[in-house]
Amino acid sequence: MSDTAVPDVGNSDANAAAAAADAMAATLAGGADERLAYRGVFQRLFVRPEIGAIVGAAAIWAFFWAVSREFGTAGGMSSILDVSATLGIMAVAVSLLMIGGEFDLSSGAATGTFAIITILLVKDVGDLGGAGLSLWIAIPLSLLFALGLGWINGMMVERTGLPSFIVTLATFFVLRGFKLGFSKLIIDNLTVGRISEAQGRGYEFWEPIFATVWIRNEHQLEARDAIYTIGILGGLALLAFAVAELNFARRDKLNPGGLPIFGAGVAGVIAGILYMHNSDGVSANSIAAAIIGVAGLAAFVGFCMWRYERQEAGSLQLDASVSKLLAAGVIASVLAMAFAVVFDVDSQEPVLDLVGALRWPFVIAAGAYAAFRAFQKSAGDSNTQSQTLINVSSIAAASAFTMYAFMFMTTEQGLRSILFGVTMLAGLILLAIAAGNAGRNSPITRGLVLTVFSAVLVALAFFIRSQSASVKFRSELFSVLLVSALVFFVWAVCSTMFTQRRFQEAKADGFGTTLAQVGGAAIAVGIIIKLLFTTQAELDAGIARAGFRISILWFLGFSLFATWLLGRTKFGSWIFAVGGNKQAARQVGVPAARTKTQLFMIVSVAAWLVGLLLAFRLDTVQSVAGNGLEFEYIIAAVVGGTLLTGGYGSAFGAAIGAIIVAMTKQGIPSARWNSDWRFAFLGIILLTAVIANNFIKTKAEESR
Amino acid sequence: MTEAQDLVGGEQPLLELDGIGKFYGNIIALQGITTEVRAGEVTCVLGDNGAGKSTFIKILAGVHKHDAGDFRLEGKPVDFNSPREALDAGIAAVYQDLAMVPLMSVWRNFFLGAEPTKGVFPVRWVDKPEAKRIAKEEMAKMGIDIRDTEQPVGTLSGGERQSVAIARAVYYGAKVLILDEPTSALGVKQSGVVLRYIVEAAKRGLGVIFITHNPAHAYPVGDRFLILNRGQSMGNFAKEEITQQELTQLMAGGAELEQLQHELEAAIAGK
Repeated sequence: MSDTAVPDVGNSDANAAAAAADAMAATLAGGADERLAYRGVFQRLFVRPEIGAIVGAAAIWAFFWAVSREFGTAGGMSSILDVSATLGIMAVAVSLLMIGGEFDLSSGAATGTFAIITILLVKDVGDLGGAGLSLWIAIPLSLLFALGLGWINGMMVERTGLPSFIVTLATFFVLRGFKLGFSKLIIDNLTVGRISEAQGRGYEFWEPIFATVWIRNEHQLEARDAIYTIGILGGLALLAFAVAELNFARRDKLNPGGLPIFGAGVAGVIAGILYMHNSDGVSANSIAAAIIGVAGLAAFVGFCMWRYERQEAGSLQLDASVSKLLAAGVIASVLAMAFAVVFDVDSQEPVLDLVGALRWPFVIAAGAYAAFRAFQKSAGDSNTQSQTLINVSSIAAASAFTMYAFMFMTTEQGLRSILFGVTMLAGLILLAIAAGNAGRNSPITRGLVLTVFSAVLVALAFFIRSQSASVKFRSELFSVLLVSALVFFVWAVCSTMFTQRRFQEAKADGFGTTLAQVGGAAIAVGIIIKLLFTTQAELDAGIARAGFRISILWFLGFSLFATWLLGRTKFGSWIFAVGGNKQAARQVGVPAARTKTQLFMIVSVAAWLVGLLLAFRLDTVQSVAGNGLEFEYIIAAVVGGTLLTGGYGSAFGAAIGAIIVAMTKQGIPSARWNSDWRFAFLGIILLTAVIANNFIKTKAEESR
Repeated sequence: MTEAQDLVGGEQPLLELDGIGKFYGNIIALQGITTEVRAGEVTCVLGDNGAGKSTFIKILAGVHKHDAGDFRLEGKPVDFNSPREALDAGIAAVYQDLAMVPLMSVWRNFFLGAEPTKGVFPVRWVDKPEAKRIAKEEMAKMGIDIRDTEQPVGTLSGGERQSVAIARAVYYGAKVLILDEPTSALGVKQSGVVLRYIVEAAKRGLGVIFITHNPAHAYPVGDRFLILNRGQSMGNFAKEEITQQELTQLMAGGAELEQLQHELEAAIAGK
């Protein structure tokens, strides 16, 4: 038997191990481990389970903002949040359960059940019998029912060992039957009402807790826009500094020479904003914008000079891959603008009429012929050139078919915006990829590509201002594009001038994270103030009423609680453990059955809360209320990054997922589309989200 | 090793087994097993497949009860009803399947089931910085080199996972550490790493029971060897009493192996 399999485990090795341990202890004291390569800011963000949901939410919001009138107004926001609140409370609870490795299909029906139970408990004893209890008794009593339902679900799953899918499907049908059956039996009606019959029996106390509405139009704050502007701009600036702090390598010794430049830049930005605020007219605005741009650049470069290590810019290396992508990106952007100019913006003509009903067969025929030719050619000789030809002609054929499909549905105006949007997006993505590739060549090459990117954004901004029929695009999108262009240009300059970090630095990480948190909070405060208050000018213009319900606060509170529970408590660790590897969790002493049962109880308590919110808001509840919503909860949780197989996910992600689902529910009608398409849209989002999440999860495991 | 032996070798054994037996109906799974585990020593349990190693661990770890013989922990007879009781008494088992949750971070796995908490009931939370610090420190003490305690256990190599499990058992004040075939699924280098941790654990005063079917892994680290074959003890030796060669022969059923050797030689000669 060979002895090579075993290293000599004598005293010398043991001593070596001890020495290594000492060295480790030394690094522990120092904080970060020097063997850990530093992962960039964006790379680190990328591996969070909820990042896909946040990006998705932003994209969907931007999409509906562009196509509908309500999105982007306080009223639109209130209705999105209103729908997300009840959906989100459930989605967050369901995501906890799913991380714990189980499903609850009865969760939707349960919301209606607890609303009905509560109403029946407080309803007057009359011809249509209720129990006539005080809310002070009815609310705890229905909570007990809720805890009981969760306990039963959990015990049945644990005791029988059956999949929770089956057990809770059964509970779902039982609840559904009970809701209908008891409603008819007790009050002989499918609509159960009314909770307001508890007037004088606690209604006055509980109603505000579950049904207060903040009417925006009744709250004026003239300083609102100033707070909003300061919050947004200050927050963005802090975020930008945070990114710099997390991305660049700190100098060993600070360079005070950067401070005056930084100070002058900040002063310039403030002056520019004040000038813009206090003057009117297009030329004054342009001057102010120019001042803000230059001063912003100076402020940022000054800040970086003060704190970060300079680097060699390197030589310009525009190799084939970069220059091709760069050219393609610029061409696509120009093409996009050309499309927008060529097509008529006001035309409501169906495209088919425009092209001429006779011409479309030729489009298809041309595409098909090209594909056929390419196929023929490739059969003869399979060199790269014919391969390229096949690719090109298949794309041509596919585009011809797609175009034809779109022509059925769209008007010339619609076709114009689709062509413009898709081509423009493609151009920007190509440029972004070019920037990524250029970064591998030299800093200056990336700087150049980013400058081109920024220039394209500026051109786009002015193009939209001159061409768009929509005021919203001409003002808001214009400014957003200009600000983004500035951000990218600043980034181009700074990433050329300063060295990227290669190692972890605990201090810089801490400071950067704090900056980012404060920045995020400032932006949030700005937006919330803008949403909650109105101004005299708006009232004079006759703005629509918008109300924010207290259910939004419940949603926020519950999401924060669940996030804390999952991330910071023992119970949270156990949730991940029972979902990830139940056997292992049991072996180390985690009470797996109890943890899962408690998760079922959390879901049913959430359903009870949502039930009360519904009952107080609607006063009467349909006996079918909530049925079928359980799949929306699951979709929201999955879109938020929760793994269907358990053991991975985030409560915060589920909350964002609920907002996404709510946006699609509200967005489609507000874009004046047929709301029958809603489910198709939801399905596509679910599929995209699952694919994206799987990808992120794989990346998360790799990049560690 | 020798230091540890000098320190604790003379005392009463941590764990004593005297004629332990286990029967499943008419099947004799284990009979007449006698050995001891001393603090700071490694007792290796060797046996081929089906020799009764698994039954042996399960008795020690409280999964099964023994049907015959005496099982004494620090001189007192014990009779465990559940793994939890064995764990509380200081006997920790690290199984082949490792009791780890792959998608959870190293520090969460390290503390799973016994997280250190802060705050007052009902508002209690896990002291995360403290937990991460302890996890890293404890593993450093064992000479285990974990880069980032936030990384998911699933991304660790087999040897690293074993070492996290060992460090965890040591940290939770185990007196006796049972390792079930920790090297069986590992490559040469990884096995070496795990063997080093075994020695390290013994040096810290634990009694280690190392179950394996590889004498080449057992001999260098072991102080005492119990050889099992078909549920019977083939002998219980201190290191001085046996060579690796003899150990290998005994384990494979001694005489049978010799016979096989003769047969093979005859076959080759006859060619």
